[in-house]
Amino acid sequence: MSASVTLGPPERIPGHSGTEPDGRPGGAYVRRLARSPALRLAGRRLLIAIPVLWGVTFLTFVVENALPGDAAQALLGANATPAEIRAESIKLHLNQPLLIRYWDWLWAALHGNLGNSLYSGQPVGPIIAQRLPVTIDLVVYALVVTLVISIPLAVLCARRPGGIIDRTIMALCMAGLSIAPIVLALLLLQVFSGYLHNLLPALASGTGNDPRDLTMPALTLALPLAAFYIRFLRADLIEQMQSEDYTVTALAKGLSRWRVLTRHALRNSFIGLLTVIGLNLATLIGVTVIAESIFGLAGMGNELLQAIQHRDVPLLEGIVLVFAGFVVLVNLATDLLYSVLDPRIRHGRSGS
Amino acid sequence: MADPLLEVSDLRVRFRSRGSVVHAVQGIDFTVEPGQTLAIIGESGSGKTVSAYAVMGLLPPTAQVSGSIRFKGVEIVGLGERELQDHRGRNAAMVFQNPERSLNPTMKVGAQITEAVRRHLPLSRPQAHERAVELLRMVRIPAPERRFHEYPHQLSGGMRQRVIIAIALACEPALLIADEATTALDVTTQAQIMNLLLDLQQELGTAMLMISHDLALAASYAEEVMVMYAGRIVERAGAADLFGNVRMPYTRALLDAIPRTDLEPHVLLPVIGGRPPDLSTVLPGCAFAPRCPDAQADCREQAPALEQHEMGHWSACWHPCGKEAAS
Amino acid sequence: MAAPVASLALGVPDADPAATQRRSRTRGLLRTLEITVPGAILLVLLFFCFIWPLVYPVPSPTYGSVLDASLPLWSPGHIFGTTNVGYDNMARILYGGRTTFEVAAAVQVIGLVVGGLLGVVAGYAGGIVEAVLMRVLDIFIAFPSLVLILAIVDGLGQSELHVIWALSAFSIPAVARVARAGTLRLRDQPFVVAARLSSVKAWRIISGHIVPNLMPQLFTFSLLGTGIVIILESGLDFLGYGIPDPAPSWGGMIAYGQTVMSVALSPLVVPSLFLFGTVVCLNLVGDGLRNRWGVR
Repeated sequence: MSASVTLGPPERIPGHSGTEPDGRPGGAYVRRLARSPALRLAGRRLLIAIPVLWGVTFLTFVVENALPGDAAQALLGANATPAEIRAESIKLHLNQPLLIRYWDWLWAALHGNLGNSLYSGQPVGPIIAQRLPVTIDLVVYALVVTLVISIPLAVLCARRPGGIIDRTIMALCMAGLSIAPIVLALLLLQVFSGYLHNLLPALASGTGNDPRDLTMPALTLALPLAAFYIRFLRADLIEQMQSEDYTVTALAKGLSRWRVLTRHALRNSFIGLLTVIGLNLATLIGVTVIAESIFGLAGMGNELLQAIQHRDVPLLEGIVLVFAGFVVLVNLATDLLYSVLDPRIRHGRSGS
Repeated sequence: MADPLLEVSDLRVRFRSRGSVVHAVQGIDFTVEPGQTLAIIGESGSGKTVSAYAVMGLLPPTAQVSGSIRFKGVEIVGLGERELQDHRGRNAAMVFQNPERSLNPTMKVGAQITEAVRRHLPLSRPQAHERAVELLRMVRIPAPERRFHEYPHQLSGGMRQRVIIAIALACEPALLIADEATTALDVTTQAQIMNLLLDLQQELGTAMLMISHDLALAASYAEEVMVMYAGRIVERAGAADLFGNVRMPYTRALLDAIPRTDLEPHVLLPVIGGRPPDLSTVLPGCAFAPRCPDAQADCREQAPALEQHEMGHWSACWHPCGKEAAS
Repeated sequence: MAAPVASLALGVPDADPAATQRRSRTRGLLRTLEITVPGAILLVLLFFCFIWPLVYPVPSPTYGSVLDASLPLWSPGHIFGTTNVGYDNMARILYGGRTTFEVAAAVQVIGLVVGGLLGVVAGYAGGIVEAVLMRVLDIFIAFPSLVLILAIVDGLGQSELHVIWALSAFSIPAVARVARAGTLRLRDQPFVVAARLSSVKAWRIISGHIVPNLMPQLFTFSLLGTGIVIILESGLDFLGYGIPDPAPSWGGMIAYGQTVMSVALSPLVVPSLFLFGTVVCLNLVGDGLRNRWGVR
């Protein structure tokens, strides 16, 4: 350590640094990527994700079959005789033992075949494919709105903690966190279709292709989420401004507090925010179901409700798999992004 | 003699917190000449860091600052935030204590330097880049071009401190404040950094305000030493004069507490009994009286003023250590 | 010197010193108000839901004459009006509130006990036990909980008890996660390490050291989670998967309110206000306690 001060430049350890002297990524960079802790972390997470996904599908299967009643009954209705129900069950292969049924499903699923809906007979795959875009659009729209709202507001709060803007926004956040999605959705409905009639149509055209159709449901999702994110970000920003030395260093350079907030503190907050987004995802999906129900969107949520009602196990499994897969994927992505954003993880130690 | 670079007169800093007031600095006066090295010594709570922050204009608006701080003739106290931002980094710059934490971990080292450069100097990006590399070279970081693109965690503690020095000197300030700059470093690195600072001082003609609790360090590197206690200056003298000719019992006690190699083994290290005073109440007498071995009645009644009892040697004591008592 | 360094330069901006002093005193008062006022409101609400019907002849929430159907707000004898079959809305609010609180309390207690136990055991034991428990919990967390809840309630039939079971499946993993994280942190604290080294029995360490130190965090987490559980439960009732008709529930009343939205707003607004108000008070108390106790 001390030697390098008085001697010449330290020997270049091949492949040790990721950058050439003028900053370009070198050949060493590519080699290092393969050994990169980031990719290894991602790989490991992927490995863990697989049993989790399996567990989810297995759990669904078990729960569904543990509960009284079955698809045959749902299909034929309440007036069916036991004989009719039994006949239907056999037709739907429901008489076979649980594990065999699960194995059949799993085997087919691994080969890309999600089976057929017990209720409608249609193949599950296309049903999901048709409904998926609406839900995805909704979730993405909601996340974008959330971030667009939260980040600037959090910075505004952190600028003057305890100030009037801060307290107002915090009060609003408290309200946002406490409002049930059903209440919020109906409130939005009332306000926009009641008073601002033509601005945002109340019920979707059904396809959900028009972004205006998705605005109210997206807001229903976004507002409580934004309330949560604002509080989180604000706390993180304030903590950095108050207890981290690099913010003082930045101030000592002559930068304004605003610049220190946005150029230094905010960058470091993104990492934490990413983790929070991943954690909240499963809850978001739950709220999506409610939003789709209230606003009549033809998305996965409504399909899910029906599948549950009809005890339509293959369809249910398919939807659950997609949902869980989505959550797992997003968490994986945030883990990867995490390592990209935090140079400490990306580069590791290569000090003198 | 040239005009002083920094003139502090009757500086007082008060903090209000939850109804109580903390008198962090209780009326201090000192000057710093261009290119001079002044050390401010004191324990925690003596007000040395608060004074430094006041000079930098880094105190929060909750701090009540009164008195005068004149930097090159311009009054700092009472300036608006905008003007203070122009002042910080350009006129005076600071090097902090914790190199581990003083750099933004997610920002490249070079970017953190160019940020400082471009704040005050009208340089283009390539020019700022060049200047940053030059600064890295100046603080003796090897392979500066490469280091420019690295992140703080890729550098050792000593190197990080050098980067912070580079940031501080980016706009060639007339005054550099080193707040416990070497406290967190190991002894070898400490010496390296101090030598670097002195060399740079000579090269650039920068004045340095060295803040520390380490009297021995001050002795080795500073021209003048100022001792603070409980928000007041209690002694100020040239380094050699201070150590050879101690006046204030507090300073003497500090000197006695320095571990020495020529003492007998198993001898008790003399420590100062008691603890620093609570700064929310201002006592009438000398602040050190409760802990002073030589305290007399008049010490508790009236606080002694800082006076130049001998040429170039100020002290604030009713019963200073005489030549006989000097160690 | 690090923390003071930072806080020295960046304080709460404020120009007028006298006002600061006044404000800091009022701030102290406010902080207690933040907890006591919502707390008091909650207590009043609890009183009216549970005790009031015992002393005052509140009309039955599921019995009424069609002659009194769809009365508006402030009708004599029916302050909140009646439903379309004549049930008194005020009674439905009170009894619905009772269900809400019962379910929330049960779910959170179960979550605290079971989840807390699982989390602490996982965190303390480490190794295989922790790995397995965590994977199982991961499954529950990745699982869109609503699906599980809906499935359970739909399959078992609607009843308050089933709703409680279903919601516990959501609450237990959440508490377990927090408990585990806390246990991991406490486990390496000097005082716990000392106990472990002195061969103190594991369960004694857990009950004597870990659990007491974990309590504030778990408690505030549960309190804040109660709001979420109430919201979830109302969602279930709204969708028709929760408390079966004709038993009253706030979510169910909101669903009914939606159907008559275009004609009258009060059937929608009244239960919505109660729902919102209850959750706000819970969140305020939880937040306030968290600040008071300095929990992360």
